Amino acid sequence: MRIEPIDLCAADRRAHAKLLIEGLGKSYGTGDDAVLALSPTSIALERGDFLCVVGPSGCGKTTLLNVVAGFEQPSRGRVLLDGKAVDRPGAERGVVFQQGALFNWMTVLENVAFGPRSCNVPAAKARESARQLLKLVGLEAFAQKYPYQLSGGMQQRVGIARALANEPDILLMDEPFAALDQQTRELLQEEIRGIWRRTGTTVLWITHSIEEALFLATHIVVMTARPGQIKAAFRSHFSQNPDPLISATPEFAAAKRQILELLRSETQRAKSLETPQ
Amino acid sequence: MSSTPISSDALDLPAPAARRPSSVHRERWLTGSTLLGLLALWAIVTGSGLWAPLVNPIFLPSPVDVARAFVKLAQQGYQGKSLAHHFGVSFLRFGTAFGLCVLIGVPLGLLMGTVPSIRAIFEPPIQAIRPVPKLALLPLFIVWFGIGNLSKIILIAGPVFPLIVIGAMQAVRSVSTKKIQAAQALGASPSTVFWRVILPASLPGIFTAIRMAISIAVTMLVGAELTATSDGIAWLSLTAAEYLSTDIVLVGVIIMAALGFALDRLVRAIEARVVHWSGKD
Repeated sequence: MRIEPIDLCAADRRAHAKLLIEGLGKSYGTGDDAVLALSPTSIALERGDFLCVVGPSGCGKTTLLNVVAGFEQPSRGRVLLDGKAVDRPGAERGVVFQQGALFNWMTVLENVAFGPRSCNVPAAKARESARQLLKLVGLEAFAQKYPYQLSGGMQQRVGIARALANEPDILLMDEPFAALDQQTRELLQEEIRGIWRRTGTTVLWITHSIEEALFLATHIVVMTARPGQIKAAFRSHFSQNPDPLISATPEFAAAKRQILELLRSETQRAKSLETPQ
Repeated sequence: MSSTPISSDALDLPAPAARRPSSVHRERWLTGSTLLGLLALWAIVTGSGLWAPLVNPIFLPSPVDVARAFVKLAQQGYQGKSLAHHFGVSFLRFGTAFGLCVLIGVPLGLLMGTVPSIRAIFEPPIQAIRPVPKLALLPLFIVWFGIGNLSKIILIAGPVFPLIVIGAMQAVRSVSTKKIQAAQALGASPSTVFWRVILPASLPGIFTAIRMAISIAVTMLVGAELTATSDGIAWLSLTAAEYLSTDIVLVGVIIMAALGFALDRLVRAIEARVVHWSGKD
């Protein structure tokens, strides 16, 4: 078995935590109408960890990311990045969205240079680092195009380059490849693996794809249906394997099955919660 | 299309349904023939000097009569004032009202969409006056603002201003949260978010509101020149109708339609240059 259960908020992990999510809970509304979206959850991420969060839709995994990004305030608990409490969006946390977050009125190069420019990096330097990043994601030839002139896969690469431009301490990815076709997705997953190995960035990655999680992650969290909480956490070794076809091995299939079984019961529970009473 | 040329061959574009030039040609041809057909029908039922008109010219003068009336008006003017004067006066009223509405309405709408407290102050009164038929207020406007151009400008601005303000506000409010969050997560300050994200993302909606306002402003021009004036293109039409000079009425109507059409085209041309990304989200 290439995945093994792990306690993600064990004391030794907390001690070295890059990102510490402590008893984080979120509910929407007040009084009797309050809906609990995320039960108190604790996760400690060490530098260089690649954590994938998988769970049924509506389990609060995007809420988790939004709070870490600073877009939403937690109802309870807190988020610490390098020991500093997170209370608003910041350039040290790069965010990549599913789609539709690029600025269509700016060229691809201006999109990628937007972060450094916003952080007062001189224009020439910002453009130069934007060019380097576009080279990293294989889009240097498209620097002067507008995002809407690119395919969905290329747009996501621009989004990744843009998030990397501020050299963030952590990358937050909200199902970045969910809207892409299978081939493009697999290609980009390989590229992300390469970029992550080269840069050693800490990553928090939300997905509903178990394969994606197994292929990319060093750590995997499986969430329960709403109100979301951690059902299980694993350490995964597949992402260290250089084989791009690792997903076709029996070990991979066995690990997938293990998580699938966990998720299946949760998906069914989520469904029963969705039916009107 | 965009101001920068795009080499589509170098891209795997998500194919914006590249229409074959032949089908574009065909549609243009159909549009052109419809317009020509209507003109021909008009010429036929009115005789146009070739045969006895099928419709009494007092109800519908022939296109030839209307063209002659135009030439005559251009040469001799109407009721002691030149056609250019009438047009100029109307354009002044229309242009001042419309220009002020855009200059004040767009920034106000942008602020209302961005700053909740400004919205709380301005939205209720604007929404409250929106359903009031402004034309019904014309007598009051004349009492309040006199018989000069001011009452006319205010009458035209009456429905145009709320339309542009609310349009700009809605444009801001429909900017995707993701884009704003993306900018914030990239370290953008609130003013950077406004100038580089909210403003450009709102422009397509603002242009739509402005274009909708043009036709309403032209309509209100007619209302403004109903009474308490002795010049203006709409006044010319309204006065000519009292003398049953339907050919002159139509000249005025066509000039106002041309004004509205030309302005719409102008705004569309500006829009195509400025917001090349419109509708591409």
